[in-house]
Amino acid sequence: MGTNGASRQLDTVIDVVTPENIAFEYQTAGPTRRALAYFLDYIFRAVIFISVGMFLLFTSMLPGVAVLGISFYLLMWFTLEWFYGGLFEALWNGQTPGKWILGLRVLTTSGRPINGLQAIARNIFRFVDLMPLVPRIAFAALLGVSLAEPGGWIILIILFSPFPTCACCLITMMSNKRYRRMGDLVCDTMVISEAQNWLWGLPKIDDPKVKVWASELPPLAVGRQLANALSRYVGRRKSFPPQRRAEIAAPLGQALIRQLGLIENTDCDLLLCALYYRTFIEAK
Amino acid sequence: MNVTELIERRRQSWNELDQLCGVMSSRTRKGIGSRQLARFASLYRAACADLALAEAWQLPPDTVRYLHNLVGRAHNQLYKSRRLDPATWYRVLFYKVPRVIFCDPYVILGFFVFFGIFLLSAYVAYDPERSPEFAENVCSAETLEGCERSHSNSTDNELSEMNILGTAGYQMHNTSIGMQCYTGGLLGFPGLLITIFNGAYIGAIFGYMARPDVAADTHFFAFVTAHGPFELTAIALSAGAGLRLGGAWIDTKGLARDASLFKTSRATLPVVGTIIILFGMAAVIEGCISPTAIPYIYKALIAGMSTVLLILYFVVLGFIRWRQGPEAE
Repeated sequence: MGTNGASRQLDTVIDVVTPENIAFEYQTAGPTRRALAYFLDYIFRAVIFISVGMFLLFTSMLPGVAVLGISFYLLMWFTLEWFYGGLFEALWNGQTPGKWILGLRVLTTSGRPINGLQAIARNIFRFVDLMPLVPRIAFAALLGVSLAEPGGWIILIILFSPFPTCACCLITMMSNKRYRRMGDLVCDTMVISEAQNWLWGLPKIDDPKVKVWASELPPLAVGRQLANALSRYVGRRKSFPPQRRAEIAAPLGQALIRQLGLIENTDCDLLLCALYYRTFIEAK
Repeated sequence: MNVTELIERRRQSWNELDQLCGVMSSRTRKGIGSRQLARFASLYRAACADLALAEAWQLPPDTVRYLHNLVGRAHNQLYKSRRLDPATWYRVLFYKVPRVIFCDPYVILGFFVFFGIFLLSAYVAYDPERSPEFAENVCSAETLEGCERSHSNSTDNELSEMNILGTAGYQMHNTSIGMQCYTGGLLGFPGLLITIFNGAYIGAIFGYMARPDVAADTHFFAFVTAHGPFELTAIALSAGAGLRLGGAWIDTKGLARDASLFKTSRATLPVVGTIIILFGMAAVIEGCISPTAIPYIYKALIAGMSTVLLILYFVVLGFIRWRQGPEAE
């Protein structure tokens, strides 16, 4: 099952063998989608912080609640900062809300589900992946904020955490085949994309000449590679003008004309469509 | 039968499996009926068979790609992640962690680095004639002034909800430092830098506050005595665990580097759990006992008991588990 090693396309897919002894392919997730998922999770956490903060603000009028509320808020901040991703991935089968939205999932490198320890560890090590961190003071010059004023430090502390450059993460991701960041390397995990795709079925061919040609063509054993090529061509030809179809069909079409002993000015586009019809649509 | 008819025959099963994948992902196993589960398993096996025969049937590449995706999604629903198992935490905490920490050269190195820098910094900061601006350079004058001001009065606070606030704040702040020491150790230098900085910072404060000309020294040491053993031990342990992680890059013991990292992280991550517990206990003491009016003798007693507990856990229990080996877990 699957393409053989010699004709394997250079791609971001990895093979997994299931306990049922079936091999299928996973598409590994690249840095862009993972960054988007991280950004979405960041937004969710910000929403939680703001919502809880506002709730605590409103309830702070009650005696004793204000201090308890701040204590709860600080503990919640710590928990979400370090364990948000880990807890979600442990309880949600390798997904956080951001990953769920974008159809990503964390698995072990062998395609198996992760355990709680791996989920938590790979998120704790995100601290390393965010490095190097740009200190707050670097923003002072950009914003024209004077640190000599008491308000200057307050603005920086409140508004800006140390800025994560994520250079460590990007360099690590580029250095291995599965786009694994440092946390993935340490925990033997990877992130795959399982976004749903749709089954469109076979493309229809309306030209009546195709059926006629299909019945009149000499017999030809269509191997896997040829079948793939025919399928890809016919699936895309509708978006090409006639001249472009002739251009794309020419290399394969000319080779088939020679092999089948057809006349030289045979229409390559029709020839490929006829072969496709005979291979996939005609009754076997 | 041609390929078109084949796909149309199987499409219904594939669609049904697709829908069941959505149902399985949105509910727990207990919320799904047994019939539905059995149906899901049956459809999954059929889809696996279809994928295996895709080449024989000469299915188009788009259909094959669809099947790969479908089987992958169903596989992830059938084989779900193993969640956190609290039943194993006792074994990890009282068997695995003491055995891992005992006699670990990196943990010992971490202790030497942190406490060595701490003591050196305290010594240099204590003597204003030797290096008058050392403490200010390390901690900033505002920090030292703030420290003096906050400890200038005796700790005569009654226990109140402010102690809970203090506990939460210390837990958040100190545990974050410990986690940074640990995770930064993965790259070696950053973890070491964080450990050295924290050792120098805390040591400078201790040294400065111990100066005879600083009026708040008595109150300061009355404050830090009770929670000191747990907190300082936790930081040193974080540093040691981080160094061990960084050492896995170099000392791979014959494994590939990523395999060495994975093995070491599995061994050291339970230590992080212990570190969080130590920081938690330090935070409770720092928030609820240290700032109160309890006589100093009791705070010293708490510090002594903490030290004894740490020795019992790391040394005595660690030796016992080390002798028993991993089989005892």
